[in-house]
Amino acid sequence: MEYNGGSVVAMIGKDCVAIASDLRLGQQSVGVAMNFDKVFPVNDKLYYGLPGLATDVYTLREQLRFRVNMYRMKEEREITPKTFTHLVSSTLYEKRFGPYFIEPVVAGLPSPTELDPHPKPFISTMDTIGCITTPKDFAVAGTASNKLFGVAEGLWEPDLEPEDLFETISQTLLNAVDRDALSGWGAIVHVITHDKVITRQLRARMD
Amino acid sequence: MECAFAITGKDFVLIASDMSAGRSIIQMKSNENKITPVGPNLAMACGGEPGDTSRFADYVDRNLRLYHIRNNFPLPPPSAASWVRRILAESIRSRSPYAVNVLLGGFDTTTSKPHLYWLDYLGTKADIPYAAQGVGMYVTLSTMDKWWYENIERREALDVLNKCVDEVKKRVTIKFDFNCVLIDKDGVHSLDLKSQDPIAELEAKVAAMKPSDPEPIIPSSDAPAIAAA
Amino acid sequence: MFRFNFSLLSAYLNPSSLVLPTAAAISLTVFSPDGHLFQVEYALEAVRRGTCAVGVRGQKCVVLGVEKKSALQLQDPRTVRKVAMLDDHICVAFAGLTADGRILIDRARIECQSHRLTVEDPVSVEYITKYVAGIQQKYTQSGGVRPFGISTLIVGFDPHDTVPRLYQTEPSGIYSAWKACAIGRSSKTVREFLEKNFTEGLERDEAIKLTVKSLLEVVQTGAKNIEISVMESYGVITNLEQMEIEKIVATIEAEKEAEAERKRQRVVATQAGQATMAMGSSAPSGTSTPQPPSGVTAPGGESGVQ
Repeated sequence: MEYNGGSVVAMIGKDCVAIASDLRLGQQSVGVAMNFDKVFPVNDKLYYGLPGLATDVYTLREQLRFRVNMYRMKEEREITPKTFTHLVSSTLYEKRFGPYFIEPVVAGLPSPTELDPHPKPFISTMDTIGCITTPKDFAVAGTASNKLFGVAEGLWEPDLEPEDLFETISQTLLNAVDRDALSGWGAIVHVITHDKVITRQLRARMD
Repeated sequence: MECAFAITGKDFVLIASDMSAGRSIIQMKSNENKITPVGPNLAMACGGEPGDTSRFADYVDRNLRLYHIRNNFPLPPPSAASWVRRILAESIRSRSPYAVNVLLGGFDTTTSKPHLYWLDYLGTKADIPYAAQGVGMYVTLSTMDKWWYENIERREALDVLNKCVDEVKKRVTIKFDFNCVLIDKDGVHSLDLKSQDPIAELEAKVAAMKPSDPEPIIPSSDAPAIAAA
Repeated sequence: MFRFNFSLLSAYLNPSSLVLPTAAAISLTVFSPDGHLFQVEYALEAVRRGTCAVGVRGQKCVVLGVEKKSALQLQDPRTVRKVAMLDDHICVAFAGLTADGRILIDRARIECQSHRLTVEDPVSVEYITKYVAGIQQKYTQSGGVRPFGISTLIVGFDPHDTVPRLYQTEPSGIYSAWKACAIGRSSKTVREFLEKNFTEGLERDEAIKLTVKSLLEVVQTGAKNIEISVMESYGVITNLEQMEIEKIVATIEAEKEAEAERKRQRVVATQAGQATMAMGSSAPSGTSTPQPPSGVTAPGGESGVQ
């Protein structure tokens, strides 16, 4: 975790979710890259972030992409945030005794169905071996997680509209990573709404 | 104890690496080449466990060549980097991992863009414009932070590279000799850092070579028997 | 598990023989009572039906010529290949089932790179031939497989050597070295042609010409269905352009035409001679060949025309 650094945060709003990460890739104290995005899309209603050991970020991402594509082709439908969370979880648990050093965060908007015409926005997070937590407010992970917890606790409030949610998650991330030596070097935010995904790179402290 | 760094420019990549070989405080060789061409427009600087480095370079080289022969087309740098990363990532969780750190530089002839990848023995990959590895990392990264700029030209990039070499000589207690390659659309060329104007020498060499043999280091890039009309 | 499946399959396919599968049904290549391996012979038949390939060794080069099936109108002809590179210095052509050829070529390519990786030297032509033949042999002696339906011609240069090499392999796993060789459709005709016309120490152009000439024995459609690759030294391979092949075919045709013309002239001359002799003296008993009179010699001289 502390080898490469990096943090991810996700938040629930009113009919929207947001997920954000920093862009640093380090080798302990040395910064190597400032373009290392840790948040990836599954589809335009579902994103996930993989903070942790960078080699496992790639490996797990490739693995998940493969499994989601297989799911999509076999089931002929998009995977739901909840199913995806369990897919990530079982992928992690497969390596129970030699785990991927990743604490994933999932954020998505479930599509309405006949049984559930107004589904709630969904976020979840896991530990390195796939134990799931599904918070109703926000999820944090990575080297700045303790700071993120604190700031998010203070800034987050229920039923934020997309633009307000963007502001909240951005401030949370920036202020948390500024206090963390292993996170920072730029940030990227995705706000997922029913009709679009707003993606913005933040101007952050580059030191 | 090694030191390697690389710079991308407008239409080329420069890779420099030290040439020392030895164990702990003893140096046994000062002219060991650690930069291997692994394709017509692709080269790799390997650092790490001495035996592993050359084994790994050969393994990558042969596999990329096999790909080239099978498909009559070399693996482009981004794909090659992904493949090398995967090998390292699989290796780190195997019984006998390669302890190898890699700088992979290449020129993509299909998009005419230079690429540079920083890879460590864990399988971490970074796609960056300039990179460094080994004991010289701290001083060379700072030097490149200061002097590098987007779309830098060859001579200016070579100046930056020489600044890095000077900085290593000044700040690192171990004495290093460096060798250097330049990768561009014409292939992988070695540069003589001691000469007055290595770029001019290279240009002359390439101009002289062009009519008959376009590739000086890797033999026949295009499998001629398969190149159907 | 496999046996079980297989017996089910054969029972299904042939309901009249609902008995335990025989040894021949489990492993496809077993001896017939008189010592034949039928599957291998069938494989050779597949080779005989494949397009023709010719290899000719010259003084400093080796030439591969193949008969190309003409591509269908909407097909991309570049995707139909009969000559493949195994490594920088080795080429292969094959006759028989193309799909089998692909697999064999891929195995050989891997071995080429693997050999370089382990002993840091490129393979020699004989080594890779032996390897390919070894794979082919394995498929005549293992259960549940069928032999490769291809013969190959492997050409190239050994590292640090200037002698051109030409080898042939067969479905049985036999391999042999040749000065000039043909495989595939009508290979017998072509081989006989080569036996008659091959001479040692051919120069590049002569070797190419002989290759084209021998292929023309079986390829009626001429240059557009011929593909020629020339290897001149380690790693120097060229594919002849369609234009060049056409030119060579044209010269050969012109020569043939001249030859035919010469023959015709001579026949005319002989007949004329006979006529004069018949007129000039009493009719001979008729068995001995009439000598042409000294005054009427056929144009172009006599020696070795036939």
